[in-house]
Amino acid sequence: MYNKTVRRRRAVLALLVVLALILLTAYFGEARNGALHSVQRGFLTVVAPIQDGANKALKPVRDLFSSIDEVLHAKSQNAELRKQNNALRREIVAEQIDHQSYNQLLSMFHLDNQLSISNYQPVSATVVSQSPNLWYSTVLIDKGSSAGIQLEDPVINGEGLVGKVTEVVADGAQVTLITDSTMGVSARLGASATTGILKPKVGEPNDLLLEYLPATTPDNKGEYVYTSGTVAPPDDSLYPPGIPIGEVTSGAEESGYEDLNVHPFANLRNLDVVQVLTIAPGSRAARVSNIVSSLPSGAQSSGGEASTAGQLASTGAG
Amino acid sequence: MSGQSVSGGLIARIAALATAVVFFQIGVVSEVPVFGVTIDLSILLVAFTGLLCGSTVGAISGFAVGLLVDLALVQTLGLTSLVFTLIGYWSGRLRELRDPQAALTPLLVGALATAVSLVGYSVMEFMLGVDAPVSFELLRQIVLGIVVNTIIALPMWMLVRRCLIGGLPQDPRRRRRRAYTTGGLSPLSRS
Repeated sequence: MYNKTVRRRRAVLALLVVLALILLTAYFGEARNGALHSVQRGFLTVVAPIQDGANKALKPVRDLFSSIDEVLHAKSQNAELRKQNNALRREIVAEQIDHQSYNQLLSMFHLDNQLSISNYQPVSATVVSQSPNLWYSTVLIDKGSSAGIQLEDPVINGEGLVGKVTEVVADGAQVTLITDSTMGVSARLGASATTGILKPKVGEPNDLLLEYLPATTPDNKGEYVYTSGTVAPPDDSLYPPGIPIGEVTSGAEESGYEDLNVHPFANLRNLDVVQVLTIAPGSRAARVSNIVSSLPSGAQSSGGEASTAGQLASTGAG
Repeated sequence: MSGQSVSGGLIARIAALATAVVFFQIGVVSEVPVFGVTIDLSILLVAFTGLLCGSTVGAISGFAVGLLVDLALVQTLGLTSLVFTLIGYWSGRLRELRDPQAALTPLLVGALATAVSLVGYSVMEFMLGVDAPVSFELLRQIVLGIVVNTIIALPMWMLVRRCLIGGLPQDPRRRRRRAYTTGGLSPLSRS
């Protein structure tokens, strides 16, 4: 009787482990439209409305915990915000000077309108769940293909770039955050307009690394980093140019290149509402944005290229 | 519970509890970081189910909870199942071999299960090719994750015990009491 029990117990364990390994192997081996991925999408389709409902019903509980956490951090944040406020005041003055030259450039191109995010047909969505796992920087949102969201659509919030859509079902979608190990964003430094590739910092899941910058690039702490929007097809960037991503925290030279540590603006551990830019990558507006981003650096004030793209896109000009 | 039949009532209780905990985890807990990390109730659920119900039930519930987590969060299928199966089995074997009765057992089991889960997950991810060398930040997140889960282990143990104890064929509280009140089992009666 004892031997039978032991054999059965070990058989169950072996069966479950083998089953898990088979699942793991099959999942890795199959394409995105394979059977297991389809099952996962089907499950997401079913549970997305439930998660959405639960998310709304349990919001007061979440807010309660969040507010406790926020109060604990309010003091340190206050001091930090005061510093930022002073820095921003100085930047505003510099921006006003830049703005004058920017307007002159605009008039040269007969471009007056500003490209707003609305040109990218944004869809507002609520984050309904977030992966608790250190290894997966993903969130699920309550809008899907029925709202016009497609794979690879860029996702932003009020603070800056958040990530891109990596799975879509009718009433939900998975967003992979810019801190995920699979992500890479073509980005530009604010003052020098030097471009590089922004990747998650290996081993530090909440920070980013701007790589492949020329060795002469100065590591100005606090310098802003924003999306560049690549100009050369077929490698068009998914992201419109000029979206803020983060600020430089320190530098690190590596084998002839300069790397900069970047802290993202968006609080990716506490997302609530995001916007999905549903305009397709490579579409007219996206292409126009890319063309504009190739203009001389003086013309590439964040509003400037946006404005150019907006007018060209709206007038149908190529 | 190894060697004894598992009642349908117990299976229903475990299924209901697992579903509720996983959705609460995804909908609420995962969005409220504590000390910069997120509490993971599903690990504790699996460990305590094993500790109460034995290795076989622990392993099966670990596999099922892991699968549910992977499906709901669109993660690599099978990875969480594999880690949770081993945690459920190990917790069950602990009960079958040692039957620990100390009040702090849930704390220790919760901490160890979380450590095994986080380290096991990291090892699996390294093996699957995720480029992430051991750094201070990674170690900090693992240590904080263990601390936070240990803090929440005792309330979680009480919840799991309260939900499952009615479905167990032999109530551990009654079993312990009987050991000292019936003849032959008490050490005093032997002397």
